[in-house]
Amino acid sequence: MTSALELAPRLTKASRQKSWDAHTAFDWPASLEPDSDWYMSPELISIYGTEAFDALSETEQKRLSFYEIVNFFSFVLYGERPLISGLMNRMYRKNTDGPITEYLHHFVDEENKHMIMFGEFCNRYAGKIYPEKKLVFPREYAVGEEDVAFFCKVLIVEELGDFYNLKMMSDRTIAPLVAKINKVHHVDEARHLAFGRKILQELAEQHCASWTEEETTRFQAWLVNYLVSSWGDFYNPAVYKDAGISDGYKLRKMALANETCVAFRTEASSKLVDYFLETELLNERPQF
Amino acid sequence: MDEKSIRDELRMWILDRAGAEADRLSGDDQPILDEGLLSSLDIVEFILFIESVREEEVDIEAIEPEVFDCIDTLIEAFFADAPSASEPQG
Repeated sequence: MTSALELAPRLTKASRQKSWDAHTAFDWPASLEPDSDWYMSPELISIYGTEAFDALSETEQKRLSFYEIVNFFSFVLYGERPLISGLMNRMYRKNTDGPITEYLHHFVDEENKHMIMFGEFCNRYAGKIYPEKKLVFPREYAVGEEDVAFFCKVLIVEELGDFYNLKMMSDRTIAPLVAKINKVHHVDEARHLAFGRKILQELAEQHCASWTEEETTRFQAWLVNYLVSSWGDFYNPAVYKDAGISDGYKLRKMALANETCVAFRTEASSKLVDYFLETELLNERPQF
Repeated sequence: MDEKSIRDELRMWILDRAGAEADRLSGDDQPILDEGLLSSLDIVEFILFIESVREEEVDIEAIEPEVFDCIDTLIEAFFADAPSASEPQG
């Protein structure tokens, strides 16, 4: 089985071959028309499959799809910010020095370019990036838990994001610029995911067995909560308000509880959950 | 909504989220985070609830984590302009 140390040089080589410039990769149209085109693929829109979505006219659905894609790019951008910070903090350690740190430089470089790309789209066409509402409070960790938790968070933001990237990159019904952004993101993320899955598996094997039963239970509860709460980012009341839909908070609550939306989140999370079960980071499937 | 109603709404939301009995938060100066009623992962949902009550977005960059200490600090940070129950409503 290939280790992260053996995988890193191959990923470094691929990153160098596929390097791109965030400032020249896209022809940014002067403006977009939110009411005329699809931006988020309709079936990925947060309230798709609900009566509330069906009650909207096609123009209103398209407008919502525009603000949904701005929201998607916004929270992926904010998810990449602590990711970059965490990766940089893990460079040049005893257990990452050499090929792994060399690849981490590419990982950070590519995440930085993604932030530029997402930020450019959001600011240029929506005039803003939807702010995140997260606050981080200090907490205690078992030995190795902070590293395991960090790469779990990396994998969650990237796997969920990639589920959307894969659907949208080949969707010819949405604006070509949005499809291209999703494609560019996916190509880099495929390498990040390969690395993230491998290094997290190794960290889990190294540390989890030494945790007490209480520490393991606490970690698994945290991981379930983190995964489930990550889905909350997709149901943003500010998006509904910008799309002209009243009582966005109520709509969010409805969609989070709606059976169709729950089934969608369960399906979209299945690859990630399978991985967490295989690596024994979780011992049962979370309820979405 | 007057200040007392807001305090009641906040208390009910926190207890419901935590699945806790009322005596876990009987006073408005009782700690919310230190008592384990809410965690950092609950804060996003809580902020969205606060926004829905005050009908205005919260600027997360303008607040410190300490505002989530207890109901008194929440009122001071997010609902300082709420009328008291005895004041006439506009």
